[in-house]
Amino acid sequence: MDREFLNPVGKSVPRIDGVGLVTGQSKYAFDMKFPNMLVGKMLRSPHPHARIISIDTSKAEKLPGVKAIVTHQDTFNIKFGSNEFFFPHTVDQLPLESEKVRYIGDEIGAVAAIDEDTANQALKLIDVKYEILPAVFDPVEAMKPTSPQIHSHVRNNIALILPVNFGNSDRALKESDYVREDIFNSQSAVHACMEVHNCIGQWETFSNKITLWVSHQAPFKIREAMAKCLKMDLNDIRVIKTPTGGGFGGKLEMLPMDFAACLLSKKSGGLPVKICYSREEEFYCSRRKHPMQYKLKSGVKKDGTIMALTGEVIADGGAYCSYGPTVMAAAVMRIFMVYNIKNLRITGYRVYTNTPISGAIRGFGGVQSGFAIESHMDLLARGIGMDPVEFRLKNITGPNMVTTNKMILTSNGLKECIEKATIAAKWNEKYDKQKNIYRGIGIGIAADVMGSKMYKSHESAGAIVKIEEDCSIYLFTGAADTGQGSNTVLSQIAAQELGVNFKRIKCKSADTEITPFDTGSFASRVTFISGNAALLAARDAKKQILEVVAKEYSLNADDIDIVAEEVRNKKNNSFILSFEKAVELCYSFSYGRQVIGRGSYNPKTTPVDFRTGEGNVSGSYSFEAQIAEVQVDVDTGIVKIIKIWDAHDVGKAINPSSVESQIEGALTMGLGYTFFEDLIFKDGKLVNGNFSGYKVPRSTDIPETETILVETNDPNGPFGAKGMGEAALLPTAAAIANAIHDAVGIRLKDLPFTPDKVLKALKEKQNKN
Amino acid sequence: MVKLRINNKFYELDLKGNETLLEILRDHLGFTGTKTACDDAECGACSVLIDGVQMLSCLILACDMEGKEITTIEGLSEGEKLHPIQEAFLEKGAVQCGFCIPGMVLSSKSLLNKNPNPSRQEIKEALDGNICRCAGYQKIFEAVELAVEKIKKNKK
Repeated sequence: MDREFLNPVGKSVPRIDGVGLVTGQSKYAFDMKFPNMLVGKMLRSPHPHARIISIDTSKAEKLPGVKAIVTHQDTFNIKFGSNEFFFPHTVDQLPLESEKVRYIGDEIGAVAAIDEDTANQALKLIDVKYEILPAVFDPVEAMKPTSPQIHSHVRNNIALILPVNFGNSDRALKESDYVREDIFNSQSAVHACMEVHNCIGQWETFSNKITLWVSHQAPFKIREAMAKCLKMDLNDIRVIKTPTGGGFGGKLEMLPMDFAACLLSKKSGGLPVKICYSREEEFYCSRRKHPMQYKLKSGVKKDGTIMALTGEVIADGGAYCSYGPTVMAAAVMRIFMVYNIKNLRITGYRVYTNTPISGAIRGFGGVQSGFAIESHMDLLARGIGMDPVEFRLKNITGPNMVTTNKMILTSNGLKECIEKATIAAKWNEKYDKQKNIYRGIGIGIAADVMGSKMYKSHESAGAIVKIEEDCSIYLFTGAADTGQGSNTVLSQIAAQELGVNFKRIKCKSADTEITPFDTGSFASRVTFISGNAALLAARDAKKQILEVVAKEYSLNADDIDIVAEEVRNKKNNSFILSFEKAVELCYSFSYGRQVIGRGSYNPKTTPVDFRTGEGNVSGSYSFEAQIAEVQVDVDTGIVKIIKIWDAHDVGKAINPSSVESQIEGALTMGLGYTFFEDLIFKDGKLVNGNFSGYKVPRSTDIPETETILVETNDPNGPFGAKGMGEAALLPTAAAIANAIHDAVGIRLKDLPFTPDKVLKALKEKQNKN
Repeated sequence: MVKLRINNKFYELDLKGNETLLEILRDHLGFTGTKTACDDAECGACSVLIDGVQMLSCLILACDMEGKEITTIEGLSEGEKLHPIQEAFLEKGAVQCGFCIPGMVLSSKSLLNKNPNPSRQEIKEALDGNICRCAGYQKIFEAVELAVEKIKKNKK
C-alpha cells in the first residue's frame, strides 16, 4: 500500500469516490432505473393564489398507461416544516395542498404513468376548479393589513419576527460622532445544482415499508418528515442517499415530490416511481434565496469605535416557511461573530408572498447580511476618514472571547485573515491610490457557524468503524456527501486517528437503515461534527485493538499506540507488531474479538433565546477576509475583477485541495450573485427559468484568485479542523461594492451589479458634481 | 437499422429517427456517464466526442451518426487505466459532485486533440459551454494544464 497515504490528515489525497466520478461509473439517482419503473409528475398550480374548489381526476385515470394519481385525499393532511423544534408555528406546508394554492407551482397532486408523455398528458386531463384570489408579490406590500392574507395562522403575512436587542442603542447613537443610514437590497437566486431534484420511491405493499433513493443532503430529515406526514414509524422508511450532484441547501428537506413518489408507488401496487424535475421546475419549485432589504442606522466614534448598529431586515419568504427561521437567524445574528458591538438592535421580518418558497441556500441569510453589513461598515469607515481595514481591525472579535450575545468564540483567526489578505493584496499601496485608472480595492469579512441546532433539539452525528479480518476498514457515517467530499475527509480523519493507511478505508454513508444518524450536510457542520464522530469511532476501534495487544504482550494499553500502521510502545518507541498482525491477533483463536468502534458527537452549545438573540449556536466558528481589486469601465459600466484574495481560518485543512476547492466554489457563487444571478418574476410567474435567462458563472467569468489558508487549530475540532463550506461567498458582493466605490466613487446598494446600474450611478455622480 | 460506433464497439439499433443521441446513449444503451442538466443545450453535461470533437449529444439525432466515431466518458479510459485527463482531474482535486465532470473531461479532450498546448485563456474558452456549479473552475483549469504535461511525458 502506497506510503504516501499514511498520516493522511493535512494531505490532498484524491477523492475516495473519485474514480467513479471521472469515469462516469458513479450512479446518481438520476441514472438509476428499476424494472417496471413508472414516471411520476407533479400537478402544480397555475395561479399564484387561489382556493381549490374541486379536483377531478376521473378522466386522467382512464388514460391508458396511467397507473396512479394522488391528491390530498390520499394523505392525512399533516403539515411539515424545517424548524419544527424552535418554531412550531412555521410548520406550514402540506405535502399536497388541499384548500389553497399559494404560488405558481404549488403542488396539489401527482401522476404515475408508464412513460413521461403519458404522465404529462394525464396532468392535462386533471380538472381542477379554482376560485382565484387576489395575490401579493412584494413583502413590504404584503405587511399591510389591507393586503391578501396568504395563511390564516398569521396576521399581515408576517410569518416570523426575530428581534435582536442588546445594550442601549438610542443612547449610543446620540453619543456617536458620526451616524449614517443606508438601505441595501439583495435579490433572489437559486442553487442550480447540476443534478436536478430527483428520487425513486418504492412502497413494499405487504410489509408496508418504503425505500426512497434520492439526491439529497439530509436523508434523516426526509425520513422524519415522511414518517410524520404518512403516520409511519421512522424504521418503516429507508432513505438511501445516492451520489448527489450538488445541494447547496436546496436538497435539505422533504419536497412534495419525495412524498408523492412513495405514495404513487403505494397506489400503483408497489411499482417503483421516479420523479425527476425539469430544469424549469428546478428553478421555481425547489427553494430559492430570500430577497432581503436591510435598513441600517449606525453610529461610530471618531476613533473608529462602533457605538451602535440598528435596523430592520425584511425578507421575502415566498409561499411557505421552509428553512426561513434559520435563514433569518443568520441574517440578524451573524454580525456578533464578526464585530464586537455592545449596542445592537435589529429586527428581522420574514414575510409571506405569493411567490416560490424561499429557503436555505449556501450561507443561509449570511450572504444578504454580508452584503449589507460589510457595505455599511465601509461607508462608516469612509465617513470618519478611516482606512476600512484599520476600521475593521479596531472592531473585530478575537479568540477566546464571549460575544455580546453570549456566543463562545474559541479559535478565531479573523485578525490574521485580514492581515494576510491585506499584505498579499498590497492594500496599503492600492487603497485610495488608483482612482485615475478607475481601479479600486475593497474588503469584506465574515464568519460562519459549524452547525446551528436549529432543526432538532440536538445536532448529533454518529459513526461506526468496523475492522474486518482482512484489515479492510469500513467507516459508516450518516453524513451526506453531496459532492463536497465529506466521505473523503471523514475517512482521512478516521485513518489518521486509527494510525492506518487511508487506502484501507471504505466509506459507507447516508443510508438511514445502515448508517448512524446525522442531521445532514448543512451549516458547514460536517467536517466539525461528523468529523468528531468519525474520530471518536476510530479512537474506540483502536482502543479495542490495543487492549488485545496489551494483553498478549503483558503491556499497559495506555502505553501503546498505532502510528503509520505499526503498534509501538509510546515510552521508548519500540516496535511491537504491525497493524495487520495486531488485527490478526484480535481475530485469533485465543481472542476472537471483533473490532467495531462507535462514536457519537453533539457539540456543546447553549440554546438561542429567539426573543433577544442570546445564545451560543455553534461548537466553533470559522472566519475569513476577502479583498477584491476591480477595474471599472466607465463607458460600458462593466466591472472587471483584477484579482480576489481570500484568507480563510479553517482551523486545520484536513484536505487542503478540497478546502481550496470549497473556497473557490463558494467565491464563484458569490461572483455570480454579485454580478448576474437574479431570479426574476412577473406577477408571481418566473421569467427566466433556464440557463440562458438565468446566468451562472462560467469558465470565462473566473478571475484570478488567491486562497490563503489560516490554521488556528480549534480546540474542539477534529485535529483542529472547522467547517468552511459557506463563508467564502458571504463577503464577496460587499468586497466588490467597496472596491467599485474606491475605483470610481459610486456606491451600489442594490444587487446584482449590472452594467446599467453602474452607468446609472456614474451618471448620478456626474450630475451631482 | 442504424449502425452506431460507440467507444469502438458497434451497436445496431432500430430507431424511429427522432431520438437524440443523448436519449439513445442514456436510456437505450445505458451509457449514463453522459449526463444532462438542462432542457435547452446550455449546460454542456451531455458532451460527447464525435470524431474527436466535442458536441452536445442533446442536439444530435442518433440516426445521423452512422459512420461517425462516438466517444463517451466510458470510452476514454483504457481498461482500468485512466486517461491522463481523468488522472489529472483526480490529482488536482478538480472534482466535487462530479455531475459535470464527464462533459468537462470530454471538452478538455476535444481541446487537447486540436491544441495540445493550450494557454489558460484557451482552456477557459474551450470549457465555456460546460457549467460546473461546485468547484469554481480553478482546479479544472489546473487539471487540464496537468493533463497537458502528462500527455507530453507519456509521448516521450
